[in-house]
Amino acid sequence: MAYITQFQYYTNAGNTPEDVNWGSYQYVSLADIVNNFMLIYAGNHELVNNANRYQVLFHAKRAIQELNYDAFKEVKVLELSVDNQLRFVLPSDYVNWVRISMYSDGYIFPLTENIQVNSAEAYLQDNSGRILFDQNGNILRPQYSGLDYDRITGAQKSIYMNPGSQFNGQAGWNYDGTWYFEYSIGARFGLNTETANRNPTFRIDKKTGVINFSSEMMDKLCILEYVADGMEGGDASLITVNKLFEDYVYAYIRYAILSSKFGVQEYIVNRARKEKTALLRNAKIRISNMHPGRLLMNLRGQDKWLK
Amino acid sequence: MINSVRNTVLAVINKNNYGYISPSDFNLFAKQAQLDIFEKYFQKYNAQINKENARVSGTGLADIAKQYEEVISTFSTSSTLTRVSANKYTLPANYYLIDVVQYNPTGVEIEPISESKLRYMSSTLMSPTAAFPLYVQRGNNIDIFPTTITGVSDVSAFYIRYPEDPKWTYVSLSNGEPMFNQSAVDYQDFELPVTDEPELVNLILQYAGISVREGDIYTFGDREEQKEDASE
Repeated sequence: MAYITQFQYYTNAGNTPEDVNWGSYQYVSLADIVNNFMLIYAGNHELVNNANRYQVLFHAKRAIQELNYDAFKEVKVLELSVDNQLRFVLPSDYVNWVRISMYSDGYIFPLTENIQVNSAEAYLQDNSGRILFDQNGNILRPQYSGLDYDRITGAQKSIYMNPGSQFNGQAGWNYDGTWYFEYSIGARFGLNTETANRNPTFRIDKKTGVINFSSEMMDKLCILEYVADGMEGGDASLITVNKLFEDYVYAYIRYAILSSKFGVQEYIVNRARKEKTALLRNAKIRISNMHPGRLLMNLRGQDKWLK
Repeated sequence: MINSVRNTVLAVINKNNYGYISPSDFNLFAKQAQLDIFEKYFQKYNAQINKENARVSGTGLADIAKQYEEVISTFSTSSTLTRVSANKYTLPANYYLIDVVQYNPTGVEIEPISESKLRYMSSTLMSPTAAFPLYVQRGNNIDIFPTTITGVSDVSAFYIRYPEDPKWTYVSLSNGEPMFNQSAVDYQDFELPVTDEPELVNLILQYAGISVREGDIYTFGDREEQKEDASE
């Protein structure tokens, strides 16, 4: 894409939406990546020849997907209210989660992933435990499994130290400065830190595409931070990549094509592989934005006295 | 150039009264010869590229591939393709080689793909889009994908056309000897560069040698052509 004027950048040349070009200079489009590669790196006198554009496009997209998973640090955030079935449907471009939080009373409470299963399918059974079918031979299912029903109605107990815990609200006493309880939590082996969290819990059911929460999340606002694959819902004209990774994407495409092409000498493939790896490392360091000023802020706390 | 070629051919053929070729025969042979040389340009261009990659070719005035490119480019042309139906467009009748098919609203190239590969282009990652469209050739038509590309003037082709058929035109004089007439409406000179004149003569002599059943003429033309090829 050609350079745009300042007027176009700030005001979209008077068109709406006004903000469409803001920050766009950080990115290079997929179309530019493919065109540049075909122009510079592919041809009769280049290492990559007789490569179709769709091959280049495929590898470019794959490179961008991989970068989105762990290198870009471009986390999307979606806030939704948890419905009355304690579900949060995953966004259409969801690939993996980064953090899930509850937003309540002006605070963001990071939630803990439940180490126990909290949702299940169920089949209807008769009194003797035999599975029931309809006339077409399909298994009959209840609306909810027992596990889900208890979770939704709040009857399910939690191993976490939240209101769903069996020990929640039970009394203890203080003797000589130490708290004692009539139950086993922390009594002998200390606190189980894995479950020592008061907040609601969640578990992601990837196959059904929902996050299942514990009952305390009913009607609460949930903030999902997640990573997508950068494919912008299939609209190739919207796919972009940060310029810090531009050279890496070229190197990735070159390596991907050379390594899968018949008759390319191994030393050339290796050269391409090393170049790709080195460029990824460089780009990751660049995008990590390690500012001395920020580091200084953290280090200022080094002389604090620990009590 | 066509008159010069004809005169040379006739001079060689008539040297020992071997025979005479009529204007219509000459035009047929000229067409064949021009097509032979035209097609050879692409093979020679490819061979020259290989030489360049093997670092046995020069640059500047020694850039032979550039010369071939320039000759081939004289046959380069473009046209907006006629839409047959929906996403189907007709290729130009005189095309030899499609260079680029273009989606006019955005100027992006519509890439060719084989029929079998097209079947695999159904994944979310690889489905054709308006940003990266594809076409598959079916007979003299091309089908564009995505199928939303249907505009009447949405698609253009930039291609290498066949050379026009050469035609040596004449006026008949009273003694029956045809006289060259460059002003005739259907006059068509060779479209190849002047440097190809010797090869044109050699090739036409080969055809003429077969025509008049004179082996010497064919052999002469064939030998001269081989010498030309070897020197390139």
